[in-house]
Amino acid sequence: MSAEMANEIKLISGRSHPDLSEKIAKRLGIEVARTISLNYSNQETSFTVGESVRDEDVFVMQSTATGDVNEGLMELLIIISACRTASARRITAVIPNFPYARQDKKDKSRAPISARLVANMLQTAGANHIVTVDLHASQVRCCPDPKTRGVANRAAVDNLYAEPSFLRYIRENFTAEDCVIVSPDAGGAKRATSIADHLNTAFALIHKERPRPNVVGRMVLVGNVVDKIAILVDDMADTCGTLVKAAAVLKENGAKSVLALVTHGILSGNAIETLNGSVLEALVVTNTVPLGDKVERCPKLRVIDISPTIAEAIRRTHNGESVSYLFTHAPV
Amino acid sequence: MVRNIVVLGGNSHPSLVESVCGALGLPPCNRILGKFSSGESRCEIQDSVRGKDVYIIQTGFGGNGARLNDHFMDLCIMISACKTGSARRVTAVLPLFPYSRQPDLPYKKSGAPLFKASSEGSKNDYTFDSVPPTPGPGMPKSAGLAGLAGLANGTDITNRLLKMSVTNGNESTGKLPNGNAKTNGDGFPFTNGTNGVNGSRELTPTTPKPASYTTHDYVNLSLVSSFQAKPGYKQWVAQAGTLVANLMTCAGADHVITMDLHDPQVQGFFDVPVDNLYGRPLLQQYIQRNIPNYKDAVIISPDAGGAKRATAIADSMQIDFALIHKERRPTRITDRQNASMILVGNVSDRVCILIDDIVDTGNTITRAAKLLKKEGATKIYALLTHGVFSDDAVSRINASALDKVVVTNSVPQAEHKARLGAKLDVLDIAPIFAEAIRRVHHGESISVLFNQD
Repeated sequence: MSAEMANEIKLISGRSHPDLSEKIAKRLGIEVARTISLNYSNQETSFTVGESVRDEDVFVMQSTATGDVNEGLMELLIIISACRTASARRITAVIPNFPYARQDKKDKSRAPISARLVANMLQTAGANHIVTVDLHASQVRCCPDPKTRGVANRAAVDNLYAEPSFLRYIRENFTAEDCVIVSPDAGGAKRATSIADHLNTAFALIHKERPRPNVVGRMVLVGNVVDKIAILVDDMADTCGTLVKAAAVLKENGAKSVLALVTHGILSGNAIETLNGSVLEALVVTNTVPLGDKVERCPKLRVIDISPTIAEAIRRTHNGESVSYLFTHAPV
Repeated sequence: MVRNIVVLGGNSHPSLVESVCGALGLPPCNRILGKFSSGESRCEIQDSVRGKDVYIIQTGFGGNGARLNDHFMDLCIMISACKTGSARRVTAVLPLFPYSRQPDLPYKKSGAPLFKASSEGSKNDYTFDSVPPTPGPGMPKSAGLAGLAGLANGTDITNRLLKMSVTNGNESTGKLPNGNAKTNGDGFPFTNGTNGVNGSRELTPTTPKPASYTTHDYVNLSLVSSFQAKPGYKQWVAQAGTLVANLMTCAGADHVITMDLHDPQVQGFFDVPVDNLYGRPLLQQYIQRNIPNYKDAVIISPDAGGAKRATAIADSMQIDFALIHKERRPTRITDRQNASMILVGNVSDRVCILIDDIVDTGNTITRAAKLLKKEGATKIYALLTHGVFSDDAVSRINASALDKVVVTNSVPQAEHKARLGAKLDVLDIAPIFAEAIRRVHHGESISVLFNQD
């Protein structure tokens, strides 16, 4: 048996989203590796490895739990670094919801570009490869790091898309002719038009002014939604202020009903209360972020399982096959 | 007044930032440092740092509500923000270096922590003579003096906590003592310690459990004790020391100033210069000024690892020295704890001065104090550079044989001082750090800060 054959997938799960890890492991027909993470009383994170990763293809699954982003990130870095120390052949960080993805530009003087920092940190810890879903800014994928010696050492970023899963959801639940795909902001127009094109439906856009982060300003609708099912498409639902206001604008403009398809349901702060009190008929999210009891607390919340896509990406990455098939198809 | 220098404070220790700035005669840099509601850190530096020499003060401690990983990420983000803002040089000032200490777990010979089932009920109360319930992931969690009342009948609190936290979905962990941090008032879902073991099917994925694992007792006992390495594989614990150093360099730190590193080797983890300041002069000064007849006292190192640190003080002050040796071999097969302590040296009718670099759960020093009292010590001082006092260290020390605990303010001590009262003395390290910053900024030698004997 050659060394190539001995090389197997090792899926290590962080503490933030063990549920998704289990699902992925099940799809892959493997067991999650035996490891344990815990915090000491002084809050330092400790990670214990219970099986060999030497010369294996290691995938470290860690999402970002709302409110505990830094905790999860440090744990991920420690796990990656531990696997590097333990002579893993290749380490892939599977981060469905890339932390700090929104802080991707120097929008003010001396504002940190934290997304770049996180990517660099992952690389410093020893990640060879990063798999993520619907990255807020695709620029993160090619982080120039002056400290890395040469481009060859740079960690590659594979960005997966929830779009195929969304397309299927829309096709299964609605007739395309009744729908209008709406982008809640100019930045998401590309994402929304792509879905509209695939479904052959109309498209509308909401223009908004954002005075401060997490605060939503005035909104103007561009396009026609009268007597249609308006489907808002976005990559992230955080406090849901934008979505709810957009839904209200769409209703005012004559939409029959409004629902939202969002990849990352971060749903922080009062998001659930905001949603429950809104005109939004349903919020459909993928399970990239652990949702906890939010599904019980919010009857409007629907969840699409993203684990088949991630599991297939892991399988293809491991076998050296192309991942681009997943950009247009969602495995069942 | 020092020019072209910016002192930027993290959220971990606002009072130290203030005193350092006061000593340097400049205001701290204006910044916004808080959190978005999603839990991501938010950092904006409001004063210009272009071409400036930036010093970022952030201490690395956690426990009792302080969140070490948050502080560390904040630090990295601040460093990176200053770099992006064209700072000439960025120096990270970490009075207490995070992750510098290897976990103080009771290890079995193979290197893995000992997991033992709880063998007996908890002790009723701390008394002067009581042995603090020691180290073993299987031991019941000691809840301090107040919390023990209901446990007298030997209930295993770990199991109770376990059940409790599964049902109490929204139990909040309490406050964020982040100084001026802007928090969103959310509870912390998934605080720590939840869902530790993978591969176990009874995971409760996102149930927030406020309890954290501690060095000495794991609350989530069933998960931890059920953890087993694959047959034929020796489990091991990851060491994050080099990683932390690399991450700071990756963020853009050009220089690091810290104090009393647990392992001086940590300095070697960095590619950038590291200045390790010493708290020793402060401690020596305290001994000289505050301990009557200190020449007749005995300096004690509570474990072999700290012997060098303690002998350095003993030698330079010409005081006698003794050592406590932790025997790791199990003495009896029924013994719940495999470490018994042996005193090497004589302390009868003498004043004892325990010297160590850090007090975390307070386990080592309280046990040492008990032993010293038994060996006939008259008065016991404990001098430590860093006082983390995580877990129930404060109640443990309050109930122990220690007469005086002396720490520096490398970690905020206001709360500990309030709870320990006269038992705790706090030494101010702000002047040392201010002087180090001034000297580093002007390119002067700081070695004078190293030896003030």
